[in-house]
Amino acid sequence: MRKYITPTLSAILLSGWMLGSAVSAEVKSIAILTPEEGTDYGWNQQGVDAAKAAAKAAGIEVIVAQGLGYGDVRPTLRELAEEGASLMIAHASGYNTAAPEIANELNVPVAIVDTPSALKAGLIGDYTLSGHQGAYLAGRMAAKMSRTNTVGIVVSGEPPSWNSQSAGFAQGVKAENADTKVIYAVIGPAAYSDAAGGKRVTESVIAAGADIIFGQGNGSSFGMLQAVETTKAVDGGKVLFIDVIGDKSPIDKGFLLSSVVWNIEPVYTAMINDLKADTYGTKSYAIGLEDDSVMLLKTPQIPDNVWSDVQALRDDVISGKIPVEPVFDATAVRALMGDVKE
Amino acid sequence: MSDLFSDVFLGALFFGAVTAAIPLLLAGLGEQMSEKAGVLNIGIEGMMIAGAYAGFLGAYYSESLWLGFATGAFGGIVVASIMVLLCVRFGLNQIVIGIGLTLGFEGLTALLHHFQFSRTYPRLPAADVTVVPYLSDIPILGPALFKHHLVVYLAVLLVFVLAFVYRRMQLGLNLQAAGDKPAALDVAGVDVVRTRAFAVFTTGALAGLGGAYLANIGAGIFVPFITNGAGFLGIVLAMLARGRPFWVLCGALLFGVCLSLTTALQVAGINIPTDVIQMIPFLAVMAMLIMFGRKSSLPAALGIPYERGAR
Repeated sequence: MRKYITPTLSAILLSGWMLGSAVSAEVKSIAILTPEEGTDYGWNQQGVDAAKAAAKAAGIEVIVAQGLGYGDVRPTLRELAEEGASLMIAHASGYNTAAPEIANELNVPVAIVDTPSALKAGLIGDYTLSGHQGAYLAGRMAAKMSRTNTVGIVVSGEPPSWNSQSAGFAQGVKAENADTKVIYAVIGPAAYSDAAGGKRVTESVIAAGADIIFGQGNGSSFGMLQAVETTKAVDGGKVLFIDVIGDKSPIDKGFLLSSVVWNIEPVYTAMINDLKADTYGTKSYAIGLEDDSVMLLKTPQIPDNVWSDVQALRDDVISGKIPVEPVFDATAVRALMGDVKE
Repeated sequence: MSDLFSDVFLGALFFGAVTAAIPLLLAGLGEQMSEKAGVLNIGIEGMMIAGAYAGFLGAYYSESLWLGFATGAFGGIVVASIMVLLCVRFGLNQIVIGIGLTLGFEGLTALLHHFQFSRTYPRLPAADVTVVPYLSDIPILGPALFKHHLVVYLAVLLVFVLAFVYRRMQLGLNLQAAGDKPAALDVAGVDVVRTRAFAVFTTGALAGLGGAYLANIGAGIFVPFITNGAGFLGIVLAMLARGRPFWVLCGALLFGVCLSLTTALQVAGINIPTDVIQMIPFLAVMAMLIMFGRKSSLPAALGIPYERGAR
């Protein structure tokens, strides 16, 4: 009898293990597609660095396709799928039409941005990230430090992630000083690489009185930085720049006040884990102050007392004492700006 | 709202309009010459981006904006030489080659930038300006129009030079004939290929100069894809201008003013969707197309390679 029981039990255990392996997806590699080079001290770099770090932590391969521009990425997605990518991260809002199409066509999971409604179990994930909590703190800081009592927000587009940060910044400014003016200007429709437009619009915003610029712009943010470095504020003093997503300290010439820095690694790690657990595409991903996936950059331009105040406010935001809700809609964002006439 | 519209702010808006218009003007004048000679130069965006990269490179390493403009023009000529070889000399499809040049040089300059500047992102210092005496003292418009780098005045002067060339000189007549009746030009003993090649090389130089202006003065930095479609707008301006350089100038300035108007409306906090505001420059171009485009006549042999004796 025993000679029958042992093999039967072993067979049951073995088939149970094999079934389990078949159910949980195997993740061998991830791929990330970015519109610009992953060396922009911003959106693209944070994405590429996070993908590399998450893949390394998971012990899997990462394929980086960068500098793809803002056109049709379907051929690149097909190529990456053929190379065996288990997950393709389409790291640009301009890719969120093509990527789901390819996911459905080739049955390869993709991650897209700014489209939470596109979730599809096992196939399409969305990471509409928002650094609104960090932007709120940046707004509080800007209002504390503005000499002209006017600050500017310059953006190269109005994707939801940036809208929520623009709103967070404006809310922070108003919370600190309701009399501080907030000037809001968009460079152009999807002007992400328009550095000349970034400089031109920022110079106009500075001429309108702003002495602190909160800029969101990928490649165009270098034009904003150039404008800040070469233009005096209306009071003749220095104009300071608050960046987002990345850390431009290595190329700063003394005009970088701060940055709302994002760490996307926990998001990509969660995606890999969800793929393995077969729960991918069932939930959205978030970043925030609590786990330092969003944080405000400390630079020498920030006085110690201001930094201390901001850190105290950070604790209040984390504890929920100061609620900061994301605002993704562009119309709602404009309504928050100082001089908007309804 | 009124306190926002100070002299300084209005001056900055008009200054920005001129700065935005100059690359379009140079690209438009270049495209106009190509089209006059019968070459539809879709590759002008590629020439601009090559000029932007080469111009920035020259200015950054030599610390001279003038050398930067020279290298920018040379960068545009290098791209133009490919167009001359493939389209003018070998008679290949001008649209296909033009698109190929644009895509190719967008990619190449992005790649070169990646290896060279993507860790440092060097920026140029603010450009020196040439102040026009008396005129620069006019309130608001004075500083906006008459306190620019010398190259801006030269670009405007070029409009009049080209108008003179097209109307009064044999070269202008030859260019016109190369685009309208190349066979007649050939019969008259003028080399059509050389005439068209001259036009395309000049286009390359002007587009390259426009790109260099965009990078060195417009932005003070080079980033990949910096031209952002300026070359294509130059093509539209050239087509609308119907061979008249002065109309290219008007179109470029109109577009620049509309761009500044979008900023002004936003700064004023006008509560209409930003997308609508951002449409203004393009609506202006469309309005120009409707008003003047119907009457525009393009050279009869535009886009058609010249082959001696072919019917």
